[in-house]
Amino acid sequence: MASIEFQDVSKVFPDGTRAVDSLELTIDEGEFMVFVGPSGCGKTTALRMVAGLEDISEGTILIGGRIVNDDSPKERDVAMVFQNYALYPHMTVAGNLAFGLKLRKLSKPAVQQRVQKVAATLGIEQYLDRKPRALSGGQRQRVAMGRAIVREPRAYLMDEPLSNLDAQLRVQVRAEIQKLQRTLGVTTIYVTHDQTEAMTMGDRIAVMRNGALQQVDTPERVYQWPANRFVAGFIGSPAMNMFTGRLTRANGGLVVNFGGNSLALDDELVAERPALLAHVGADVVLGIRPEDFEDAAFTPEVQPGRSVTTVCSLREALGSEVLVHFPVVEASFVARVHPKTAAREGEQLRLVVNTKQLHFFEPESGLAI
Amino acid sequence: MTLPIRRRRPSGGPSNGSLLTRADWTRPRIKWGVGTAHLLLLAALVVFGLGPLLWLAKSAITPTVDTISHPISLFPHGTAWGNLRAAWSDVHVGRYFWNTVALALGCWLSQIVVATTGGYVLSVLRPKYARIVTGLLLTTLFVPAVVLLVPLYIEIVHPPLIHHSFIDSYWAIWLPAGASAFNVVLVKRFFDNLPREIFEAARIDGAGPFRLFVLVVLPMSKPILGVVSVFAVLASWKDFLWPLLVLTNPDRQPLSVRLPAIQSQTQLGIFLAAMFIACLVPIVGFLIFQRSFLRGTGLGGAIKG
Repeated sequence: MASIEFQDVSKVFPDGTRAVDSLELTIDEGEFMVFVGPSGCGKTTALRMVAGLEDISEGTILIGGRIVNDDSPKERDVAMVFQNYALYPHMTVAGNLAFGLKLRKLSKPAVQQRVQKVAATLGIEQYLDRKPRALSGGQRQRVAMGRAIVREPRAYLMDEPLSNLDAQLRVQVRAEIQKLQRTLGVTTIYVTHDQTEAMTMGDRIAVMRNGALQQVDTPERVYQWPANRFVAGFIGSPAMNMFTGRLTRANGGLVVNFGGNSLALDDELVAERPALLAHVGADVVLGIRPEDFEDAAFTPEVQPGRSVTTVCSLREALGSEVLVHFPVVEASFVARVHPKTAAREGEQLRLVVNTKQLHFFEPESGLAI
Repeated sequence: MTLPIRRRRPSGGPSNGSLLTRADWTRPRIKWGVGTAHLLLLAALVVFGLGPLLWLAKSAITPTVDTISHPISLFPHGTAWGNLRAAWSDVHVGRYFWNTVALALGCWLSQIVVATTGGYVLSVLRPKYARIVTGLLLTTLFVPAVVLLVPLYIEIVHPPLIHHSFIDSYWAIWLPAGASAFNVVLVKRFFDNLPREIFEAARIDGAGPFRLFVLVVLPMSKPILGVVSVFAVLASWKDFLWPLLVLTNPDRQPLSVRLPAIQSQTQLGIFLAAMFIACLVPIVGFLIFQRSFLRGTGLGGAIKG
């Protein structure tokens, strides 16, 4: 178990692409850190630099307080789980698990004992004599996990390990990985583009975009307090609704006008975000999460300035909830409302907004206010 | 209550990779027309492909007189098993046979070593100069082998650094055999298609370049090793000109060189028996190892495709 530190780390490819740009991040001992971001954001490159599979162009990476920039993957003592399993096709499951141990010159009985123990932990004992081709996707993924665990490394690096599994299996293995990491307590970096995985698994999540770190925090805080428009739009599904509006003062409070609608800001919200006062009379980007809307029919008391009246353009019933799409000028908003809503396509609809949970961003920089 | 029995219906799509579906085969015109064409093609293949070999096998155990008087009769009039024995011991085909085996094994080993290590460096280790070396290798493929004959001969007579002629030594065959750009390119192309993640997994597991090569890359490359082996052994087995030039001592020459030399002094039956012995090893070898180079890459389950 060891901490991992990125100190001003950059990766520049020969063609000049800056895949990772001045990354500053410390991952504590035993922490489960998730790197999340869209394709090409540099999350996998950052992970590969920790593994030693990619040279570090600038900066320093420390594992357990030791600079590892020039160390080989073997010397770094980390284990990696690949997206495509990357099992040795000519070896049995037992051979795959034992490979790293044999290379580290462990005695035969010790190798056998560790392989058996890990196989029992992962429930793959009965497959030890099989070749990877005789296993299902989920079983192969378990073997790949086992190969990482059996070495008892200082850190696990996981590169989208669930992306090749079907939806049901993904949920199951996701829980297993979480449980395993909590039990073993080994520092883990987990790379994914799936924000659900990021939200459910990580102790903290690091959101990346174009090689730059956007925000690092606990999943709850990243969701509640996104640092900028990108994070706000990327984390959460359906994505946060955003529209440029104008902040004004009315009836002793603050009001945001957007697309012909007007919402009064809660005093509580203004107290939490005093910087809003500096933007009175100026344009701001308003963000509303889909779940912060509710059908007025299911709200006992609607205070003035807390609702919008609109026309439903699309209704998606998901069983436990209904997604209602509605236009705001040229943009389309999504609201997540009660499953028994009477909203129908083409009909008028009144939606109540939880004005305690509004988000505001500066229009130019995109930073949260 | 009885459940309805589900019958297997002929599928509409191609059934076994052919252009014709099962449904097509139920049509009489296709059934008889294509069926007859298949049969004729197969018969032609047997006659022209297998025919000469079968004739050789028959003639090897047929008395010389019979072969001369009825050269294309299907069955011999009497057998002469003695031809094989005489060819093996009296004409010393046995000795030439073992010379050929020794040459083929040496050529195979040198080609495998050079092709796999060369391919590994250019494809997996990829030093900065790999592209230049690959380009140079490809250019050598455009040089006809005959053009290289004289310079290669001079090299063998006066090898650099060693200053000891390789003439009449098997090294004169083994060493030049290894220098096969074609094999290196072939193996490199195969290695290029192996999944990189597996190599990376091995590196993280603690394998250095040598162990990665021996424990991971080579076992995953059985099909291409089979192909190179077949090419190497067959090329060495049938090579005539180069062994004729560099092996002047008849006792060290292979079958390909000795057979034409002994033809004039040997009875036809015995000579054909000698030829049959010469053909036997490549054929048996092919039958034994065909699975290893005709099957797929064997990467099942390694990565998610």
